[in-house]
Formats: sequence, C-alpha cells, structure tokens
Amino acid sequence: MRIKVALFVVIGLVMVLLSISLGSAHVPLADVFHVIGHAVFGLDLPEHITAATVSIVWSLRLPRVLLAFLAGSALSVSGAVMQSVLQNPLASSYTLGVSSGASLGASLVLFLGVSLPFLAMLTLPILGFVFGLATILLAMAIAKRIDGSMGNQTIILTGIVFSLFVNAITTLLFSLFLNDSNRMIAWQMGSFAMRDWHTVWILAPIAVAGIFFITRFHWELDILSFGEEQAEAIGVNSRHTKTTLLVSSAALTGSTIAFIGVIGFVDLVVPHIVRRLFGPAHRYVIPMSAVIGGALMVLCDLIARTVLAPRELPVGVVTAMIGAPFFAYIYFSKRGVSNGA
Amino acid sequence: MLTLEHVSAGYGGADVIRNISLQVKRNENLSIVGPNGCGKTTLLKAIAHLIPYKGTVTLDEVELRHMSRREVSLKIGMLSQQFGMYFTYSVFETVMMGRYLHIKNRFSNRPTDADRAVVMRALEAVHLVAEQDKEVTKLSGGQLQRVFLARTLAQEPELILLDEPTNHLDIKCQMELIAYLKDWAKEGSRAVIGVLHDINLAIQLSENLLVMKDGEMRASGRVDEILADGLLNETYEMDVTRYMQSALQRWVR
Repeated sequence: MRIKVALFVVIGLVMVLLSISLGSAHVPLADVFHVIGHAVFGLDLPEHITAATVSIVWSLRLPRVLLAFLAGSALSVSGAVMQSVLQNPLASSYTLGVSSGASLGASLVLFLGVSLPFLAMLTLPILGFVFGLATILLAMAIAKRIDGSMGNQTIILTGIVFSLFVNAITTLLFSLFLNDSNRMIAWQMGSFAMRDWHTVWILAPIAVAGIFFITRFHWELDILSFGEEQAEAIGVNSRHTKTTLLVSSAALTGSTIAFIGVIGFVDLVVPHIVRRLFGPAHRYVIPMSAVIGGALMVLCDLIARTVLAPRELPVGVVTAMIGAPFFAYIYFSKRGVSNGA
Repeated sequence: MLTLEHVSAGYGGADVIRNISLQVKRNENLSIVGPNGCGKTTLLKAIAHLIPYKGTVTLDEVELRHMSRREVSLKIGMLSQQFGMYFTYSVFETVMMGRYLHIKNRFSNRPTDADRAVVMRALEAVHLVAEQDKEVTKLSGGQLQRVFLARTLAQEPELILLDEPTNHLDIKCQMELIAYLKDWAKEGSRAVIGVLHDINLAIQLSENLLVMKDGEMRASGRVDEILADGLLNETYEMDVTRYMQSALQRWVR
C-alpha cells in the first residue's frame, strides 16, 4: 500500500512539472527547475534563460498549475466526503446546491454590479462562497425541520429541490440581463486562465487546512458507513460529525468554485477511482483523493490549453468530456460487487 | 448500576414504550421478553440514549441526559439488529472500530499493541480469529452477528445491551454466546441486558425477567416466579407452558 501511495504522489509531481513545461511555448524541464530555484532560493540563472521564460514559468504557468492542483484536490476531497457521509455514489456539493448558490452570488455581482466596500476585487469570490455555503446551510436547516434525524435521503432531496429553486432565480437574472450574460457563461464554465499568485495565496491555505481538517475525521467516516445508530453506540457523535463534515466539504467546494467557476465531474469521479485503487478506508481515500484529484485537474487544464492552441477550452468542458464516460465505466464495470461505491 | 424510573420513549414525539421502571445491579443480568412490536428494542435504545426519553435513567447514579455521548458509550455497549453496510472493511478493522473511544484523541488515532490485544481477545471470544482478514460483506449472517458482538466487546463497556443477539446462530453458538456473556458479566462485575425471543435462552442468561406487552411493563422479577405465575401465557395469548412441556416430553421419551 505504501508503495502504491508513493507511486501516485510521484505521478502527481511529474504531472505538475510536465504541465509547467508543456504549453504553447515549450520550456525544457531543466529550465523549469532553474527558474524555480532562482525564484525560491535565489540561485543563479543560466545565461540561456530569458526574462520571458522566467515570466512564463514563474508568473503564468506555476500559479496556474498550482491553482489547478489545489482546486482538483479540494473538489475531490469534498466529493469523497459527500459520497461517504450521504452514502450515495452520486452525491456531491453540487447536488446539495453549493454551485447553484455560488452561481446566484456570481450573477448578482456580474449582472447587478454588486460590489463589496474595501474588497471590490474579491467581491465575486466572496459572494460566490457566501451564497454557496448559505444555500447548503439553508437546505440542511430545512431538511432538519422535515426530518429531525436528518436522514440521508431527506438531505439529498432537499438539496436537489433547493438547488433547482436557486437555479431558477439565476436563470431569471439571466433573462433580465441577457446582454451581460457572456461573463456569467464564462464563469459558469470554469477556467484557470489569467489567475496569478494572489489567488493561489488565498486558496492554498483554505484548501490545505480544509483537507487536513477533514482527514482528521477519516475513522468516523469509516465507522459511519455501518449506519448512524451503530456509530452512535460506538461513541461517534453521528449528527454533529455529519453536519461538520458536510459543511466543511461544502466550504471547500464553495471557496474553490468562487475563484475558478463551476467545474464538474472531478468531485464525482476521483473518489470512485481512489476507492478502486486503495479500498474504502478513508485514511487513504481522503488524502489520495487530494493527490489524484489534483493531478487529474492539472492534466485536464493542460489538455484545455493545448489541444486547440492557441485557443483555450474551458476546463469544465474537458473534465466533463473525460469524466462522464470514465464515471460510467468505473461505476458500471463493477456492479455486482456489493460495496456500493 | 442502572435504574430506570417511569421511562417513556418513542420516535417523532409518539411514545412506543410507556412508564417503564427497572433496576439492574452489577453481576446481575436481565432478559427482556415479549411479543413482536412490544417496544423491547425501543427500550434498549432509550437505555443507550440513542433516542430521547422522558423520565429518569441513571447509570451509576448519574442521569444519562447529563452525560456526553463519549461518557455513555464508554460504559454502555449495544449490539443492535439494524446496520448498514455501505463500504466493506475487514473483520479485524470492523472490530477495531469498537476501540474508537479508547484510541481517538486530539493528536493521534493509531491503535496500540494493547488495542490490538483487546481486539484479538474479542475475536477469540466469538471464534473468528481465522476470519480476521475476511471482508465483512463476505460473511454469513451468523458470522456477521459475531463480528458486531466482538466489536461491542472490544468497546470494553460495563453494561452490554443485546438486541436479539442469537438470531442467526445455531444452537451450539447460542449456548456458547450466553455462557460467554454470563462469564463476562461475572468476572468484571458487569451486566448484560438481553432482548431474546427464545424464552429458554432468556432463562439461561439471567435470573431476572422483564415481560413487556404493548409498550408497557407486564411484570418483572425472578424467572421462577414469573414462570410459575403463568404470566407468559397471558402475555403471548397462548399456552406457552404447555407448548414448552410438550416439546420437552418428546425429548425425554
């Protein structure tokens, strides 16, 4: 198992380095190391490396690749938690309304020109995050009113109904502000283009802290799979643990899509791949979802910016095009194995 | 160690059990019998504080409501009939989950050698040492039941609540289980409360019997008193005594 973990960590690293090297302008791997060494440790640059190369590697590609990795990790971990806690292979933050809420927040910013005082630049991500989180909290509050024991089916159904309702409001705004809808459409497709280090510095601590926080609950996630009552009898505070996990993984998704827009399928597919490779124990599922999810997102972004270069595809299109058939393959090829994953 | 006074409990506001009072001392087990749907499982859930209750339940003189989940589960273990199985873990991993409260702390959650030893003892008790690496989804009903019992034992509680623990077990396993639990209670000054459909097994487990019907307590007391009263005949609306005796006659002939 350790060798397998190490192998995939190495694959992830290789993916990151290749992704920095490849693109419309190819930068040899050795030069990538030189630039990073120069920027981080102040090492001398060889003469053949131009200022343009430094700028491509350090200011354009590296933040973009890191951001893709962080986003992939955060979305995948969030998806793994949602699937396990709600015991549903299709559950995700999106099912529960996080993306609908974030879209509504984003459309308020883009259509109505809402702007936060002092934080004008961050209005879009902040409102996206707040609306995303507010939607799931509201959905869960309603689920609790309906069903005091907060059954999984109730939470999922309330989430779906709620997110459809919120989507309708967003569509209403669309129809009212049709002329301004281009930016909104672009946001909804998700992209890592034109992001700089600022975004990395904001998202990195959130994503890393969130993933660590969730990893601490790996054993509770295992125990909860036998049912909430059994978990409770063993001493797990089921309802509290469940709420904590749902909200923290919704926050992970919310903060990610707030910056980069809605990117689907990664959160759905990656946990299934990871369980296939590492089994159902969450001490592997959570961290390895972060590693493999990050690597996969980096790969999807590489494809998005190279396959039709110099044109760039929205990364959400790539993840869905790869993700949908892949999910079908993974999920249906092992039907009959009774672990529901 | 456990006292219930006028306890009512149920689901969604409706009471399934009403006005139950009972007492269980250390070294003394209790069997609960009664027809299907009379509220036996609900009573166990109330005692484990898995559902809210009215009245008072005290464990070693402390009201259950004032105890945290952790405090309750360190003392009370429950083997229930209801479980889900969304993922599949090995027998060993599943039994180790019983160590949750003993291992889990703020900084680490790695089982120690002592935890492994507790798990191995629990597996020995239920004769599943050879199956420890098997996946739980590949087990038979009886094996699975024993895995969950081992998990409850690994929890090292002082009071074990059993909901139909012998459902899928053959007669030898049933007897071994009851004998083991009696020893377990005796050696550690602990107690077992068992919901058992098989009245003969109930008699084997404990000297005390609680008879329930329609969510209420019909009788409680020593086994011989209750059997002599013919109270079970009335509770089950059939001649239990004659049924048992006629079966016995076929054995002795």
